[in-house]
Amino acid sequence: MTQKKVFKTILVISTSVLCFILSNPKFSIASDVGNCLLCHKYPGLSRVEGDKGILRLLYVNESAFNISMHAKVKCEGCHTDIKKIPHDPAKKVDCLTQCHIIEPTSEKKFSHKDVADFLAKSVHGKFDKTGQLKKFPEDRPYCKDCHDNPLYRPVSFNKRVTPGISEQALGRCRVCHKKDDFIYRFYNHVTTRLHRSRNPKNITEVCVRCHDDIKLVKRHNLSIKAVETYKDSFHGKAAEFLDERIPDCLDCHVNRGESVHQMLSKKNSLAPTHENNKYNTCSNVECHTNASPKLAQFEVHAEFNKKRSPKQYYFQSAFIVLTGGTLLPLLGIMLLDLLRRLLPGLSRRRK
Amino acid sequence: MKRQIRIANGKKYFFRFTVNQRIQHALLATTVITLVLTGMPLKFHDAFWAAYVYNLVGGITLAPVIHRIAGTILLILFAYHVIYMTTIIYKGQIVPLKRKQELSTGALFKLLINQPLLPNLKDAKDIFDLLRYLFFLTGEHPHGARFTWKEKFDYWAPFWGIFIIGVTGLIMWNENLVSKILPGIVINYALIAHSDEALLAALFLFIWHWYNVHYSTSVFPMGTVFLTGYLSEELMVEEHYEYYVELMTKEGYEDEILPPLGYKSNEHEAEKDAV
Repeated sequence: MTQKKVFKTILVISTSVLCFILSNPKFSIASDVGNCLLCHKYPGLSRVEGDKGILRLLYVNESAFNISMHAKVKCEGCHTDIKKIPHDPAKKVDCLTQCHIIEPTSEKKFSHKDVADFLAKSVHGKFDKTGQLKKFPEDRPYCKDCHDNPLYRPVSFNKRVTPGISEQALGRCRVCHKKDDFIYRFYNHVTTRLHRSRNPKNITEVCVRCHDDIKLVKRHNLSIKAVETYKDSFHGKAAEFLDERIPDCLDCHVNRGESVHQMLSKKNSLAPTHENNKYNTCSNVECHTNASPKLAQFEVHAEFNKKRSPKQYYFQSAFIVLTGGTLLPLLGIMLLDLLRRLLPGLSRRRK
Repeated sequence: MKRQIRIANGKKYFFRFTVNQRIQHALLATTVITLVLTGMPLKFHDAFWAAYVYNLVGGITLAPVIHRIAGTILLILFAYHVIYMTTIIYKGQIVPLKRKQELSTGALFKLLINQPLLPNLKDAKDIFDLLRYLFFLTGEHPHGARFTWKEKFDYWAPFWGIFIIGVTGLIMWNENLVSKILPGIVINYALIAHSDEALLAALFLFIWHWYNVHYSTSVFPMGTVFLTGYLSEELMVEEHYEYYVELMTKEGYEDEILPPLGYKSNEHEAEKDAV
C-alpha cells in the first residue's frame, strides 16, 4: 500500500468516525454555534473571583445542558456581550434579553419580559403601587434568586390526576412530525410544563432562602417564620418525605390559573390567602373539596410563640409540663431504684 | 374458683393474666410500636434518622396507610377493652349483688371505687414507703397489693393516652367532616395533642414500662408474665407481698411463705415465732 493510499484510508475512517460522533445528539450542543465548548467542555475550567476569592465554575456539562430548558438557546443568545473567543470576563446574564428562539405562536423573538412585569406587580416587586421604591429593595427576589436552568422532567404524575402521556402518545405525534428530536423536545417541554419542575420540598427550599431568614423577616415586619411553620404542618411533613401530591407554598399563595410570579400579599383582597378567600383556596377541586368554610380557620402557619399564636402556645406548654411532670419523677425513681439495687444492704434501719 | 398458684418443677407460679388479656396486651404492644415507628419520623421530620426510619416502614405512600390501620385496630381494641372490663364488673360483681338484693346507689358507688385497678390510699402509702426505701431510710420494700401503683400507672397512662391520641387522630383523619361541626383551629389543637401525647406515651412505655418489665435487674432481660400469664414467686414477693401472703394463706401454703424483700430468712422466722 502506498503512502497516499494509507493517508486516504485514515482520512475516510476518521471522517466517518467524526460524522458518527457529531450525528449523535448526546455528543453535540446544537446551539453551540460559537464553539464555546471548545473551552467550556473541560470540567476543571474555573476562576477565583472577587475580594472574597469565590471559586466560580465555568464548566458546561454538555449532556446535562442538552436536556435542559435552555438547550435550544445559543450561548451568545444570553451572553450577549461575548463577541469573540477568547473573551473578556462576561457580564451577568440578563433574563429579559430578547435574543431567544422564535416563539412559534406569535413568531416573535421570545424573552422573559412578561414574567418580569408580573413580578413587578406582585408582593415581590421592588416598587409599590404608587411607583415608590419599597423598603429594602435589595431583598426582593429576582429571576436568578429562584431559578437556575432546570432539566426537563417528563410528567409522571400531575398532583392527583393520572398521567396520560406515554409511548402510545409519542406514536400519535409521529403521524405528523417526522423528526424524533423535535417530537421528544416538544413532548418534554409540554409535559414538563404540565406540572412544576420542582417537587414541594424543593419549592420550600427556594422560599426558605428568604422567609426563614430571621433578620430579613424582621426587616419586612413579616409576622411568621413561614417555611419552618409550613414544615411543621401536615402538608410540610409530607413534603419533607417527598410526597408530590401535597400542596406547597405556591399552591396556596398563588391564585389558580395565574403565574407564580403574580403572588400577592395576604392583605390584598385578590390574594388566595386573604381572609375572605382562604376557604376557596382550601376547598379547590384537588384538595379539601368537601370541607365546610370553618376549615379556613385552621392556622397553617401557627407558631410556638406566646405573642403570635398564644392559644397554641399555652396548649402546647401544658403538654410540655405534663410530659416533664410525668417522666422526670419516674426517671428519678428509676435511677434511685438502680442505686438501691446496687446497695441492697445499705439502710439506716432494717425496718 | 380456679387455683391461683401453680407448681411446676417444684417452683410456685402465681396467676396474673388470662389468655384473653394476654392477647389484648400483644395487640396493644404491636399496634403501639407500629404507630410509633410510622408516626415519630413525622414528628421529628428534621432529624437525621427520620427519613431512614420512615422509608423502612413504607415511606410516604405506605406508612400513613399502616399508621391508620394500626390506629384503627388500637381504637377497636380500646372499645373492646372498655366493654370487656364493664362486662366483668357487671357479671362478676353487680349481678351477684342484684341476686342478693343488696344493690343500691351507695353499694354500687362503693363497689366501683373499690375496684382493684383504681388508685387508692394504699398506693399513696406505697409510694411514700418506696421513697423511704429508695433513700435508704428503711430496709423494707413496700408490701404491694394485687395491683401496685406502678401497674396502675402502666394501665391508666395508656388508657388516657389512647383516648386522647385516638380522638385527635380521628379528627385529623377526617378533617373535612370535622370542619362541618367544629372550627378549623381544632385541627391545630388536635395535631399538638396527638403528637405531644404520643411522645409522652412512647417515652413512658419505652423507658418506664420497659424498665420495670425488661431492664430491671429482677426481670432482665425480660419478664415472662405477658407470655405465660404467671408470675414467679420471687417477683410476687418483691412486688406484691401483701397479695402473695393472702394467696398463700388462702391456698394452704402458710408454712411456705417467704420473707418480704429486705428481710433475711432468720429474721422472718423469728418474727413469725414471735407472732
